Amino acid sequence: MRGNTLLKLLSLLVLAGLLLAACGPTGPARPYEEIDYEEPLSVAAASCDYGGKISSVAATDRLTVVFTLCKPDPAFLAKAAFTPFGIQPREYLDYTGGSGLLLEAPVGTGPYQVTEWERGDHVTFTAFADYWGAAPAAQTAVLRWSTEGAARLLELQAGTADMITNLSPADIPGVEADPNLQLIFNLNPNVFYVGFTNTFAPFDNADVRRAIAMGLDRQRIVDNFYPPGSEVASHFTPCSIPNGCAGDAWYDFDADAANALLDAAGFPRGDDGVRFTTSIYYRDVFRGYLPEPGNVAVEIQSQLRDNLGIEAEVVVMESGEFIAQSTNGALSGIHLLGWGADYPHVTNFLDFHFGSGNPQFGNAHPEIYEALQEASSIGDVAAAEPLYADANNAIKDLVPMIPVAHGASADAALASVSGAYVPPFGATQFAFLDPGKDTLVFVQNAEPISLYCADETDGESLRPCQQAVETLLEYGQDSGDTSGELATACTSNADSTVWTCTLRDGVTFHDGSAFDANDVVASWAAGLDAANPNHVGNTGGFDYFAYLWDGLINAPSE
Amino acid sequence: MTSIPEAAALPAASLRSNSLLRLTLRRLTRQRNARVGLTILISLILVAAFAPLIAPYEPNRDLIGIEPVTQRQKPCIHLLGCPADQPQHIMGIDANYRDVFSRVVYGTRVSLMVGFTTIGMAILVGTLLGAVAGYAGGWADNVIMRFMDVLLAFPGFLLAIAIITVLGRGLQNALYAIAIVNIPHFARVVRASVLSIKEQEFVAATRALGASDTRILFLRILPNALPPLIVQGTLGIAGAILEAAALSFLGIGAQPPTPEWGTMLGTERNQVFTAPHLVFFPGIAIMITVLAFNLLGDGLRDAMDPRLAQVSKPR
Repeated sequence: MRGNTLLKLLSLLVLAGLLLAACGPTGPARPYEEIDYEEPLSVAAASCDYGGKISSVAATDRLTVVFTLCKPDPAFLAKAAFTPFGIQPREYLDYTGGSGLLLEAPVGTGPYQVTEWERGDHVTFTAFADYWGAAPAAQTAVLRWSTEGAARLLELQAGTADMITNLSPADIPGVEADPNLQLIFNLNPNVFYVGFTNTFAPFDNADVRRAIAMGLDRQRIVDNFYPPGSEVASHFTPCSIPNGCAGDAWYDFDADAANALLDAAGFPRGDDGVRFTTSIYYRDVFRGYLPEPGNVAVEIQSQLRDNLGIEAEVVVMESGEFIAQSTNGALSGIHLLGWGADYPHVTNFLDFHFGSGNPQFGNAHPEIYEALQEASSIGDVAAAEPLYADANNAIKDLVPMIPVAHGASADAALASVSGAYVPPFGATQFAFLDPGKDTLVFVQNAEPISLYCADETDGESLRPCQQAVETLLEYGQDSGDTSGELATACTSNADSTVWTCTLRDGVTFHDGSAFDANDVVASWAAGLDAANPNHVGNTGGFDYFAYLWDGLINAPSE
Repeated sequence: MTSIPEAAALPAASLRSNSLLRLTLRRLTRQRNARVGLTILISLILVAAFAPLIAPYEPNRDLIGIEPVTQRQKPCIHLLGCPADQPQHIMGIDANYRDVFSRVVYGTRVSLMVGFTTIGMAILVGTLLGAVAGYAGGWADNVIMRFMDVLLAFPGFLLAIAIITVLGRGLQNALYAIAIVNIPHFARVVRASVLSIKEQEFVAATRALGASDTRILFLRILPNALPPLIVQGTLGIAGAILEAAALSFLGIGAQPPTPEWGTMLGTERNQVFTAPHLVFFPGIAIMITVLAFNLLGDGLRDAMDPRLAQVSKPR
């Protein structure tokens, strides 16, 4: 009898344990205590003399955060929706110290939580049971990567992947014709350009740069090396972005005028027909703005030789080295680079490239950056247009680079995947894809560097981050318009220097802790304030905080 | 009683006909594999020499606006049903709208040049080092051969990449790298030959006649050490062509727009499913060239190996 009772008790205990396991929090056990909202947190610059745009970020109550700016920023909302400004629990940031576990296992509020990252192979996401929004269609999402476009397409055709990124232009017709696949064009605004660094001869001579601008047949490049939907760039910024195309259109192709300009500039043809020699630097990495870098480099090499008598050596560089050297203005020849929009504002294109502090094209031109500085604090699009027209005209006149193309690119998915899309800004949300089965497999072109995206810049890292970590605002699926994500609304004062964001109530992080205003402040402070103990990250650069907000608070002096 | 060697009793003309070169050639031409290798090699040399006559287009000239071609166009051969109103491109068009056949033809020049130049350099330096080491012996032998051992301790291809990293990318530096990697092989072969030949009686006789060491080494010993060197060199050319193609495939050898087979393969590696002709033809060209040198090398080894030789008897 006693034995039976004991057995029943044990059975009850086991049953209770199983029930608890099934109904309890799905996230990992939390080795840190949740801190309830009591004292509001804030981060503030001592003064606006540090040069950045943000004066302070402060929680004013549990569900309100106030951003005070040093100067108006018409792109504030668009920037705040960007993935690097994702929100993680204050407790988790403190627990990890801004690095270590944080780089591999982000804790966010998104529809998926990261459950495994097997380095070199895949990242596994599991649907977050307590997600505040609509539950994802697939219970599990697996992110894999393959650097070769042919291998990605093969996976899709074999059915081992549900969606892949960055189709090779040559593969587009095949995918279009395949009834088992669907083609999804990527609408992210971008530009491919040929850059010069004006601290190196002969590119210190504006006439040489102008001559090359006139002597390159950009239409020929777009017609022969870009997929349908691409267009020749009339301006650096795509016209889909307000004020992107203010001012005069770029030079038409005119080889005779270009040669006359080179003759007059003191670069006559030699006996062998060559005026001077240079190098064309590029990286062999697929991007929407430059889908076939090697072939375009050879085409430009051929055009320079045939049209202008400039002999160029093609130099392919390792990607990281190329970015480091080109963006620091260390390449003596021509470099082939491009830009994909991070957020839908003209400042994202012009201010970054032609601002006073960017050494990429050598010595910055005040004719360009002074107009940009003035325009960047004007919220009204029409009022800012004359200034952007001036800036674009100065770019055309001084030719720090030649805008070549706005490239079209495409991803592909199985026809059976419903809801497949590629947004113009940000990454595809796995939660919106329905593969018609429990597991979604998404293959991108490289492994993420880390999953703490406050300190990452590459799209391959930002994509997985976006599945797990949410921002205050989000971009639309087919436009750059922002809407509330963790904030229900963000409103500004009359001169757009104070933004007050009201947060969504009842949101829970993957670790089970409740979301509040202090989490927002802690997440922003970790990236924005160089003196914050959690300002560690992967590289410690926090590039997007520094670049989009014009500098870090308490940045160490160089 | 002293027996007179059989050869000594032969007339002078017969002796000449049995000279090493003729003997080797005769043995070589008796082997089917070697004949195939030699035929392919001669054909390749002719293709390289007459490339401007054989190739219908300039290898680096794109055909945009010249002919109605499309990017990565498939081969068009009129005899195989390609419409007569379309321009014939028997190996198709590449991503830069260039005729692949013309590039493959000109690529023969690059590959043969790579093979002969690198192995020539390696033989020159390797022979010198091996000969000095073998003949001088002692500390010179130790220093030279230990240095060769150090070079051999690294995987050849990795060493070539390391050397290019230091020298910088490009075909010329790739040639230096491949040559350096191959030097130890030739040094060892020559040293071994010199060690055995220097003990022979005719060397002692030459020395007794008062010849200098340099004269003995370069005029008496080295000419007799050539046979294994030729075999090693022929096989080495095949390896050098492969190594150069691999380096170019990785983007650190020949640079665009040089029509080099490895570069052609590497540039279009992503199109293996959509435009297989762009990797097939350069790949086949590499295979045929390497095969030719390997067949010839094997044949030469057999022809020069006295153990395998069937000395023709005087009739």
